Amino acid sequence: MNHTAPPPPAVRLDGVTRVYGAHGTAVRALDGVDLAFPAGSWTAVMGPSGSGKSTLLHCAAGLERVTSGQVWIGEEEITDASDDHLTRLRRTEVGFAFQAFNLIGALTAEQNVALPLRLAGRKPDRREVHRVLDAVGLAERRRHRPRELSGGQQQRVAIARAMVTRPAVLFADEPTGALDTKAAKDVLALMRSMVDDHGQSTVMVTHDPAAAASADRVVFLKDGRVIDTLDGPSTADVADRLARLEA
Amino acid sequence: MLLLAWHTFRDRWQVFAGAVLTVCLGVALVQSSLLALVAAATAPIPPGLSEEAALALSWAYDGAMTLLSLVLGLASFVAVFIVSSTFGFAVAQRRGELALLRMTGAGRGQVRRLLVGEAILLGFIGSVLGIAVGLPVLRLQVWLLDRFELAPPGFDVPWRPWILVVSIGSGVLIAVLGVLAASWRASRVRPLEALRDSGSASRVMTASRWTIGLVFLCGAAVLFALFPAGSAPQPVWFVQITPFLVSVPLIIGFSALAPLLVPLVGGLFGLVMRGRLGEFTVANLRSDARRSASTAAPIMVLVAFTASIGGTLVTMNEAARQEQSAAVDGDLVVTTADRDPGVSQVDGVTAVSAEAEIMFELRFTVYEDTWYEPRFGLVVDPEAYAQTHAVEVVEGDLADLTGPAVAVSPSEGTEREWRVGDVLPARLDGEDVEVRIAAVLAPTVAGPNFLLSPDLAPPEAGPWQHVVQLDSGADADVAAWRLSEFGEVATVEAWVDRAAAEKERLTRDLMIVLLGLTMLYTVIAIVNAVVIAASGRRREFAAARVTGLTRGQVVRSAVAESQAVVLIGLLLGGLAASASVLGVSIAIRNLIGLNVIEVPWPLLIALAAGTAVVVAVTSAVTAWSATRTPPIRLVGARE
Repeated sequence: MNHTAPPPPAVRLDGVTRVYGAHGTAVRALDGVDLAFPAGSWTAVMGPSGSGKSTLLHCAAGLERVTSGQVWIGEEEITDASDDHLTRLRRTEVGFAFQAFNLIGALTAEQNVALPLRLAGRKPDRREVHRVLDAVGLAERRRHRPRELSGGQQQRVAIARAMVTRPAVLFADEPTGALDTKAAKDVLALMRSMVDDHGQSTVMVTHDPAAAASADRVVFLKDGRVIDTLDGPSTADVADRLARLEA
Repeated sequence: MLLLAWHTFRDRWQVFAGAVLTVCLGVALVQSSLLALVAAATAPIPPGLSEEAALALSWAYDGAMTLLSLVLGLASFVAVFIVSSTFGFAVAQRRGELALLRMTGAGRGQVRRLLVGEAILLGFIGSVLGIAVGLPVLRLQVWLLDRFELAPPGFDVPWRPWILVVSIGSGVLIAVLGVLAASWRASRVRPLEALRDSGSASRVMTASRWTIGLVFLCGAAVLFALFPAGSAPQPVWFVQITPFLVSVPLIIGFSALAPLLVPLVGGLFGLVMRGRLGEFTVANLRSDARRSASTAAPIMVLVAFTASIGGTLVTMNEAARQEQSAAVDGDLVVTTADRDPGVSQVDGVTAVSAEAEIMFELRFTVYEDTWYEPRFGLVVDPEAYAQTHAVEVVEGDLADLTGPAVAVSPSEGTEREWRVGDVLPARLDGEDVEVRIAAVLAPTVAGPNFLLSPDLAPPEAGPWQHVVQLDSGADADVAAWRLSEFGEVATVEAWVDRAAAEKERLTRDLMIVLLGLTMLYTVIAIVNAVVIAASGRRREFAAARVTGLTRGQVVRSAVAESQAVVLIGLLLGGLAASASVLGVSIAIRNLIGLNVIEVPWPLLIALAAGTAVVVAVTSAVTAWSATRTPPIRLVGARE
């Protein structure tokens, strides 16, 4: 990586707090989080169950509103964005991949991938859709329905669907959570190559140290606060930090 | 968007097939009723008939028209209700999928357009099928009318090309109206819900449900207080339509508020059903109150209409029977062909009132238009009639009933403004006459609404009924034996009962024609709702089995849950019907001062048991087939 001026972060959170519930039973899922996810690199978010890592992802992606603080995607502030604004954002700026692959069962792999383009009112370019499916190694299976694909293949279709709009940021929530070791490895390698080859900014929540080790940087969360970061992590480092965190 | 609609349609065909079925049958029923009504309204009176026969025929067509308007009104309401409830339910079942679309970049408008697009597609397919299914339905409807002699013999209903446009238009329209509210709600779905396991964990009692529920309940209460329970006596025909006035808004209100009742009935069931399985059942029932309420909705409609219309008719019949048996002050009734065969000469007879029913016509003129309406009246001798009947004269004097004169009981509509001394243009035996109102009598349910002066009796009037009063010392059996030489003799009680039985038969026929097909439609809708409800539960059932329930236990629990849903439907439907029948009872008391309330228990018990069996069998079959896949393949899977 060599650049002269640092580009703005892909996603920025300024003093973000998210409180669930009313006064008596209020839970602070996020408690004054300041974070910048650098553009063109892959950040993993880790932490014990209930640390707020999923909430962090949802708030950063505009799926959930913050109680206080500000959220920026690129140079756009989305803290109080309208539903229309957020919809536009989902069409162009962000892509999602989740543990449950969330494909639409009625549509073929190809149609699932083309869906965001259709929803955005663009006529999907077949070659573009094929190129993306080819990139995830599923060009052959483009006419299959999700139920005819393995878990790993479904997740790769989901990633292809997220990538087809060339989003500024890819948000992934436990993308390998439902996969076996081999499939998980393939998916992580795919995400790695997207970061390396296309400078895809990626934010991933995981609890798997091996998955986190594929990222450029790991952020550790506990009780809704950022307590540690690790650059260029190895699986052993991550596992070690995590064990200490949970102790 | 239509492409996506088509693909989702292909994939979830079970749910959509149910929606198409409701549109198809609804369109078939409305189309058939509409064609029959139009045929009755435009039926030609063949030339060459005698004036009397032509009159009787046009009168029979009028009767069929009135009945068919009610059939059409009922069918339309039920079709709109069932279709919108089914479509709303189908949309609610797909929250997760819609949230996913939102996550992928669909705007609110796009979700709405998708659902409306689907509704247009389903409405269109359903309407086209409905047009075809409507043909045998029409044949059945005409056969019923003919079989029960509620339409003139040879009643012919021609096919009309414009019905294609009406059927498709209305089918698509009600389908779209059905999803409109649901699509609005669905478009508010948050993308994040796609990630939650149970997408249906949304709030059930939305503001719109509260609003619709309360507005319609208040509306029903206002209508109830103004009309049947209002202090002004209502005309008899108006009392008869109380179910449409009171039960219809209650049905709409209750269906909106039904989810509130689910935990209540759940608690009730919890008391009866102990043990692990019971707890599981009650938990399932309560966890998805919307599902329970949506399945209960068609059951409620079935019960509400059958019980309210049935209850109204039997209550009116019973009121008429009681009124008549109280009004007639006599011992025996002799039926003869002659007006005065000499019944009064028989030993032991103290008074005889000869009565014959005749038809006459009233002439109405509004601006340039003049038309005749048939009426039935009883030709009586005023003095003898007053002696043998309790007559309550409101105005005038019955003794003036001589010459061209009538006494009027204001029970229907127009007669209510008439006063003693008014002159009515009429036609009797083909001749125009002017009749004077000699007396106004108290309102009546049983009739007669008109007493005619003996001077108005046409020569061929008859048969004559002679109400006979016996001397207090006379032996009724001996008198009856002596009277039997004039004609058929019956006791007054038997005579009144026979009239009541005849009315009852007519009531039964009317109910079959009025309710039969529409209620069959609701039964199919009930089965349909159970199938749709089960279609979204495969994973839930699988999770229960992984937790340790056997397949049999899952099915048993589903059946028990379905019975709780039946109970909700019965309760709400019964409540909606009770309000109607109570209203009718109050209206009758206002009208004739009798306290009458009748419930057609055998019919209702059969209906409740039948519904319970149909729902139990359907839910057993659907739960059995939903648990066919080994559970472990479903628990982790997600489409």
